[in-house]
Amino acid sequence: MTDGMMAIAILLPVVAGLLILAIHNYFARGVVVVATAVVLIANSLLFAAKGPLTYTPPAGFDWGTLISVLDYAILVLYLVLGLKLRNRLVLIFSATQIIPIVYFEFFMKAHVDLRPAFVVDHLAIVMTLIISIIGSLICVYAIRYMRDHEQHAHVDKSRQSRFLFWLVLFLGAMNGLVFANNLFWLYFFWEVTTLCSFMLISHDKTQIALENAARALWMNSTGGTAFILAIIYLYATQGGASALSVQNIIGGGMHSAAMLLPVALLCFTGCTKAAQMPFQSWLLGAMVAPTPVSALLHSSTMVKAGVYLVLRLAPAYAGTLVSTAIAIVGAFTFFGTSALAISQTTGKRVLAYSTIANLGLIIACAGINTPLSIAAAILLIIFHAISKGMLFLCAGTIEHQIWSREIEDMEGLASKAPLVTLITAVGMLSMFLPPFGMVLGKWIALEAAYKVPLAAVLFVLASALTIVFWTKWLGRLLQVVPKLGWPLEKLSPSYSVPLWTLFVGIFVVGFGIGPIYQYFIASATSDVIAGNSMIGSGWANIVLTGSSAVQTGAAVRGSFPVWALYLVLGVALFLPMLFFGLKPTQLRQVYLCGEQTGGTDTDEWCAECDIKTKFILGGYYFQATLGEKTLNPWVNSVAIFLLAIMIACGVISK
Amino acid sequence: MGLIKKSRAKSPWIMHFDNSSCNGCDIEVLACLTPLYDVERFGIVNMGNPKHADVLLITGPVNMRTARVLKNLYEQVANPKMVIAVGTCASSGGVFHNCYNVLGGVDKVIPVDVYIPGCAARPEAIIDGVVMALQSLTEQRHLWVTCPHCQTEHEVTDQRWRI
Amino acid sequence: MNQLILVIATIVLAPIVGGLLFGIDRRITARLQGRFGPPILQPFYDILKLLGKDSIAVSKMQFVWIYAYLVLMIASLLCLVLQSDFLVLVFLLGFAGVALVLGGFSTKSPYSHFGANRELLQILAYEPVLLLLAIAIYAQNGTFLISEIVAHEQPLLLPLWPLFIAVLYVLTIKMRKSPFDISTSHHAHQEIVKGITTEYSGPFLALYHLAEWYEIVLVLGVVVLFWANPLWIGLLIAFAAFLLELVVDNIAARMTARWMVRLSWSVGLTLGILNVAYLYIIKGVF
Repeated sequence: MTDGMMAIAILLPVVAGLLILAIHNYFARGVVVVATAVVLIANSLLFAAKGPLTYTPPAGFDWGTLISVLDYAILVLYLVLGLKLRNRLVLIFSATQIIPIVYFEFFMKAHVDLRPAFVVDHLAIVMTLIISIIGSLICVYAIRYMRDHEQHAHVDKSRQSRFLFWLVLFLGAMNGLVFANNLFWLYFFWEVTTLCSFMLISHDKTQIALENAARALWMNSTGGTAFILAIIYLYATQGGASALSVQNIIGGGMHSAAMLLPVALLCFTGCTKAAQMPFQSWLLGAMVAPTPVSALLHSSTMVKAGVYLVLRLAPAYAGTLVSTAIAIVGAFTFFGTSALAISQTTGKRVLAYSTIANLGLIIACAGINTPLSIAAAILLIIFHAISKGMLFLCAGTIEHQIWSREIEDMEGLASKAPLVTLITAVGMLSMFLPPFGMVLGKWIALEAAYKVPLAAVLFVLASALTIVFWTKWLGRLLQVVPKLGWPLEKLSPSYSVPLWTLFVGIFVVGFGIGPIYQYFIASATSDVIAGNSMIGSGWANIVLTGSSAVQTGAAVRGSFPVWALYLVLGVALFLPMLFFGLKPTQLRQVYLCGEQTGGTDTDEWCAECDIKTKFILGGYYFQATLGEKTLNPWVNSVAIFLLAIMIACGVISK
Repeated sequence: MGLIKKSRAKSPWIMHFDNSSCNGCDIEVLACLTPLYDVERFGIVNMGNPKHADVLLITGPVNMRTARVLKNLYEQVANPKMVIAVGTCASSGGVFHNCYNVLGGVDKVIPVDVYIPGCAARPEAIIDGVVMALQSLTEQRHLWVTCPHCQTEHEVTDQRWRI
Repeated sequence: MNQLILVIATIVLAPIVGGLLFGIDRRITARLQGRFGPPILQPFYDILKLLGKDSIAVSKMQFVWIYAYLVLMIASLLCLVLQSDFLVLVFLLGFAGVALVLGGFSTKSPYSHFGANRELLQILAYEPVLLLLAIAIYAQNGTFLISEIVAHEQPLLLPLWPLFIAVLYVLTIKMRKSPFDISTSHHAHQEIVKGITTEYSGPFLALYHLAEWYEIVLVLGVVVLFWANPLWIGLLIAFAAFLLELVVDNIAARMTARWMVRLSWSVGLTLGILNVAYLYIIKGVF
């Protein structure tokens, strides 16, 4: 049974991907994708039902050697790509991975077979649910999206099969990543995700796509280098293959000061994958890829692998200076990228910066390293994956309605495409407003953050900044001329099914967070870190118990009335939307000092000499103060400094 | 609805619009808002925005361009509303009534409720005129009538109010 | 049952208190300017008159957002009155602010657009201070619950006085008093016409004013929290702060949005961070 489940999770996507690569018929390909999606989702639900388990592949086949061979193949491929793209950095950072691996395998003669090879605990179950459900929905979305994409770009030879191959293959790699207990195998899956990322970013084969894919490749390779160095260090100092077991690293079996350096290096790797500062430019550059790539890899899933690693290793660095350093690295990224997001004029870049910001928040929660903050981190992972995945899908749908990615071109979308605007609006509001799950996570994070006060202050500043860029963008979408009766647009099921599923998912998971936490996430938290997170949850309330307010003897630290807040939301927003209407006689023109020409829905006015001029509004972007040119030198320098401190703390190892 | 009627008289928000006057009447209107005359004690506030206003204070004679603007602004004021023509120019065109571009007083374009002659109209006269308008503001009913032919409701906008 | 009575009492009484406060505001402002000023019941006449106007609008979503603003403001006030979590209160207040901004954005009107953007900058200016206040309350009391603030013997003002000064900035912004009345102003400012409320009329404008009444009670209620035990001292302090705002309004000119954000972030945040740091060092971590 477990054999089958693991095979479906990791190998089925490979097989399905190869099948997709071979099929060139649009409908047949779509059917295979949908079938794979259904199977993967069912499988992940089976994992959830079955609970934690461990697994080692049967001894009949030498998986270890296969993985090593594939590792070399990938790294050699990187070298070849580096040569083909004439990119020195890609070459350098492939070399810095190949040479240590060769040294590891042939000179140190390392044996890396471990039992168990895969450990599936509650955190891994949470991750695989996210990967399988949200990932599969995005693959379904990609079916139609890529066809429209190629039609619009007038591509001669269809490359949709290739695209869907890498997309589906990626799901298998991610599943392997979150299940892996053997650090060396984890490294392999890590590299596969980097490879998928490269292939998908460069899909359009334009100059800028290749450049950005190369940048993603070398930046992730710096992380890969740190990974392999950490593996070698662990193997050498801790003696043997057991040192490479993630469970052993976090289990305290090898708790010695000398272990902090490799853990710090692994956290560095996680930070590069999660595009933390100063590595954010690869994620920004990756936005040139088609939207399903951005949705799947660069918001819901692959970048979550980075924070997953940092989160998984949390017990290993708990209570050390490294932990505080990680908290500050994450918090500073949260702050810096939120500021930068305000100045972006392209929708996907705003989403990218917001993604990096929330990943920084999750990493900071991991760094704060209390049961409460770990619970916050897991909640944030879940809710961010749903909301941000949906927002990227919305961005893609909008792009295919108006054929532009610029926020200024999205003005008045509410009247042109009301359904997409509604979904996008809910997605945006769910990122930073109560009662939605992201705010619940942020609330818990703020309540936990006092342990590292500098992180708490950065959270506060960043929270204020996030309000600005989301509201600003949503406002541009809603800006319409006075006109009644907005016709609903038609969307293909390949677009609407994932969108509406995620839309409903936001409400279902948010509304039911009390019991979901109690029966499911609480165990995930305790799998990561021992100790009571002191989150009590009935069905309607999340309450943080236990306080050391000895003066007053307060039994409760904070309380978040989930259902009451959803009721408030329903009464505040949905009730008037459904029951309020305007008659045509009530409609008036906007106040333009009386200079409009024409009826209420005109957007022309009489300028000097009564010349009819179009009335144009522009958004505020503050590019002089918050633009990349101004801020990047500062924030990148500070970020490099903070990362250096993090690694230095690992060296000093207190 | 006695309370709402009473409130209409107690809280008339004005919007002042200058057609093409010499600004003499405008300055007198602004003088009313200063501490010397202090019309805010009557609840009068200058809103500067037709959607917030009840009383339109119009100065200056109407010409062809401002006719368009004036109609636009008048439509943006919600009922019940009063229009007050301040000054001789707004009432009848004044010394400019013969000009090639001047259409005449404000009542050539929109229905006027109170005329305040004067060049420039004095603040005391303006206050008197606004008070006179307030009395009919409380009386104003909705100008909706049912058309006997098609049985739908139409707003009657051309009717002047009797004081 | 008690809670239900409290809820209903708040929903009914708070706007009356708020309206009276606005009336007192206009009266005292007038006296400071050497004139008589409107009667204290003037805001009630204003709202009744607005409710009696014909309903006109420029878009359906206008109503949705302004109504959401009102409901969320009431919800935040209820959070305060029911002595719930302070951080949830700040988030709800943020949502209310966002609803108002989106109402301003929901039409393609230049004045509304500028007003909405400026209102966002206002939110950017005061939101960090309120969040830091929440953290400082936690640092002092070990809990975010307002019920603990009320029950606590020692008033918050003594250990949290720098944040009290920062909250005065927030009060100025929330009450829309010069120099921070940037997105819309009570007085006849022709700079951006009526800013964010330009396109609202009649009953919808009445909803906006009603929400403002709830807001002033809420924000002064936050000031009252600084001395919640005994309550009458807190009320006195809040009223004194209210009067201070009126004086500041009459002696200051409206400044730019950028200056407001810079001032609030430099002074407000410095005070807040120093306060939190002091509490962290003195009290340690919970």
